[in-house]
Amino acid sequence: MQFDRVWTTANWERLLVGDLASQGVMGGLLLTLLLGFSSIGLATLLGTIIGVLRDSPWRLLRAGCTIYVQAFRNVPLLILVFWAYFFPAALGLQLSKFASVLLALTLFTAAYIAEIVRGGIRSVNHGHVEAARALGMGPLQVELWVVLPQALFNMLPALAGRYIVTIKNTSLAFLIGLADLTEIGKQIGARLMTAPVEVYITLLLIYFLVNRGLSALMRLLEDRHRFSRIFLRI
Amino acid sequence: MFDWTILWGKPGLLILQGLLATLELSAWTLLLAFLIGLVVGTVRWLRLSLTEPLCWFYIEFARNTPPVVQILFWYFSATYVLPTSLFLGLRDVGYEFGAAVVALAIYHGAFIAEVVRSGLNSVPRGQFDASRALGIGLVQSLRRILMPQAVRIALPPVVNEAVSIVKNTSLAMAIGVTELTYQYKHIDIFLFRGVEALAAVTVIYAAVCLLIAGLGHLASARFSQHLARNHDLPVLTSE
Repeated sequence: MQFDRVWTTANWERLLVGDLASQGVMGGLLLTLLLGFSSIGLATLLGTIIGVLRDSPWRLLRAGCTIYVQAFRNVPLLILVFWAYFFPAALGLQLSKFASVLLALTLFTAAYIAEIVRGGIRSVNHGHVEAARALGMGPLQVELWVVLPQALFNMLPALAGRYIVTIKNTSLAFLIGLADLTEIGKQIGARLMTAPVEVYITLLLIYFLVNRGLSALMRLLEDRHRFSRIFLRI
Repeated sequence: MFDWTILWGKPGLLILQGLLATLELSAWTLLLAFLIGLVVGTVRWLRLSLTEPLCWFYIEFARNTPPVVQILFWYFSATYVLPTSLFLGLRDVGYEFGAAVVALAIYHGAFIAEVVRSGLNSVPRGQFDASRALGIGLVQSLRRILMPQAVRIALPPVVNEAVSIVKNTSLAMAIGVTELTYQYKHIDIFLFRGVEALAAVTVIYAAVCLLIAGLGHLASARFSQHLARNHDLPVLTSE
């Protein structure tokens, strides 16, 4: 094992933050996190909307959302990444590699989050909805101020799992040549030629630490008081 | 612009070969992952102080790192892990398929282990203690008393895992296993029929995954009913 050849300052810089100041080159981890967290944010938004609409009173809307969820959950993400690379180009819209991976990852993750949201909504006591309606709140208000906050709290463990999967899934970006953590690792491995195992152990360690950190953060929210302090004051 | 008839020619044949490779890869991975999951999950449930840190290390590492990096890692570490003579022999015939199976089985085995453990946890531990006190051996009490009840809880997530395995076999193209996604790439690069091939591959993946999910659903419903009839347990209904 020759970790000293992999763990040089220059390699760490490329793997983690990059050389933003002088050359504007983004490091692998930074790009992975940017991709991962933008996708997590967008997918949570889209997934919540679709999850709520899956139980909507309009049958057509319901069917549409069901088809979306089933279609995107039953196809490998890699295939979606290729579609996202192709399809906008066919419509005359040139997406960057980053944007196409972000698009595929968001649509894919949203399908899973929609199912989590639906489960979360069903865990909320229906009496709360009736009480809120009786107090004169509209359907949208009930959803936003009564159902979703309670559902969100119940969804936290499942969401945390999905967010970690999303961070892991950003690693597919290297297959279309985006310079994420995995791609940088591969490049370093290709340059050193004789130390691929050391490079991949380093990559596994970085991903492990990031994901453990993320799950620790999500677990902080599972404290009801802390959760209320953060979310119910907004 | 699109010429769908090409799917009846050589590209269609390539896709069919890819499908076979994908199914083969999935079947081996599922088998191996299930074995790993069964053993590790049971050992974790037993809470032996000796194995606990090892199992924790394995499960946390496997679940928190990307499967594609794990595939690359196992592929490149073959030189270290295998004896030199075996490695040299394998190198001549190509060990991409084996590396992909091992890596994906290790990845999914960790998830199945957690499923097995939660399945076993769903059975009151008193039943295990009682059967041990009656002199039934460890393996027998697990097999005859705990597992039949745990399966009810564990089957639906295992089916999800199987679907997930089929989808993740697409990552094996990173090391050059000629499965479906690889064949799509091949057709795109060499025959310039990317869109048609991609559409066909997408439909095939969706069909296989939906089929597995549907069959698994049917099986778990049947199983739950069967157990409820014979063992006086509540029927589990999922939508």
